[in-house]
Amino acid sequence: MRMITSVNQRGRSIATFRYICVWMMETVARWTPITPEMEAKVMMGRHIWEYAQMADALGKRTFELRLPEQHSIAPVAAYDAFLKEVVKILGTAERTAAFYDGVVPGIIARFKTYIAATDPILDEPSIVVLQRAIVDLERQRVDAAELQRELKLSSGAAAAVAAKEKSIADILAEEKVAA
Amino acid sequence: MNIEEIGFYKVAEFILREPPARDECFKVVSRDADAHEYGNFSEVARREMIHRHMANEMTSVDMAAVCVAEFPDAPWGLRMELARQAWDESRHVRALYRRVKEMGGFKGEFPVSTLEWDMTCAVDNLVGRITIQNRTLEAGAMDVIGALSVNFRRLGDDRTADMLDAINVDEIQHVRFANRWIKKLAESNPRVLMQMAAAIRFLTDANAKFQIKEGGEINAVGAQLASPENRIPAVNVDLRQAAEFSEGEIHEILRQAGFRSLVPREKTA
Repeated sequence: MRMITSVNQRGRSIATFRYICVWMMETVARWTPITPEMEAKVMMGRHIWEYAQMADALGKRTFELRLPEQHSIAPVAAYDAFLKEVVKILGTAERTAAFYDGVVPGIIARFKTYIAATDPILDEPSIVVLQRAIVDLERQRVDAAELQRELKLSSGAAAAVAAKEKSIADILAEEKVAA
Repeated sequence: MNIEEIGFYKVAEFILREPPARDECFKVVSRDADAHEYGNFSEVARREMIHRHMANEMTSVDMAAVCVAEFPDAPWGLRMELARQAWDESRHVRALYRRVKEMGGFKGEFPVSTLEWDMTCAVDNLVGRITIQNRTLEAGAMDVIGALSVNFRRLGDDRTADMLDAINVDEIQHVRFANRWIKKLAESNPRVLMQMAAAIRFLTDANAKFQIKEGGEINAVGAQLASPENRIPAVNVDLRQAAEFSEGEIHEILRQAGFRSLVPREKTA
């Protein structure tokens, strides 16, 4: 595992994670009015707020890591394209499966990888923010599983989305160097 | 990010937003005359009130969520408030649905409306949206819920009264954050005030197309509905103050209501 040792690298990683949390917030928010099932809307309402809080905490940390407050950095083009494809998925069953069984486990894994790769003392504030986010994301997967049971939603779309997510190893975009 | 899946429709000269998605069990109506408002506090009337409130809160989840999605360039602090609102409204749906079931009702028992969405989400700017949704519709709902809570308690239904009271705590904050943000945005951009005025004008004119006809109407369950000029809006001054309307704004709201209904301050022990 490649260790994360510089402040610059930490800042860019946290800003990239913030981008993904904002994407999760906007995606679930976008899906809410076009989802017919009341029980699904209720779940999504809570999750929108949780993604906002994750993004907010990460955005405060970017400032501590010498980037602007609430700063986001887009991930590598392949991952960004993957996220844009997920947004277009149709149907409550397919969206729920793709998002909570496909995308979210991948994000949890990336947060855990970061935690393992960074300095546990010098970068502890980042670790705490990510650990809190992981708790919420794992609970959200339980929420989604309950919804799937209650509404008898299939989970067919998840495997392909999870495989695609996993196939993009590094999501951190190359740093642009000023000319 | 545009919600391309939800388009627009035309009513007379007004362009409104297509309704948000609803479970098949719900019959969606546009006019109060087609709803099942019984106009009394019978058992079925109380259940219908709570069911209607649940449906309206579901629309509020949709409206807060779509604002988060459609205005990515809004100030982060305002987006956070809208995201929190989406959660609050979804908790309200849960609490009201729980009460509907306790009262012997079920999802889809009565017709519901999404007209608030149709009008609010037709507006293409966030100031206009929160002016309509938060500062006008939620503020009006805040007044109504305040009075409704008192009525349920008088009838001995403390459980419903307590629930409505708890919901109103959140609604006050939704109105308050809109007031705060509009003031803040107006300080740096005078165009905000024009967006507010245009939104209110649009809401008033578009809403008139769906209102009860002059002279009143009999609704779907045979209740007499008063004509618009005789429908008396309750204005709760204490709640309006808590939501940070200025004294001048409260006077204007009371003037528009014709001073016909002034909810007195509740005596505290």
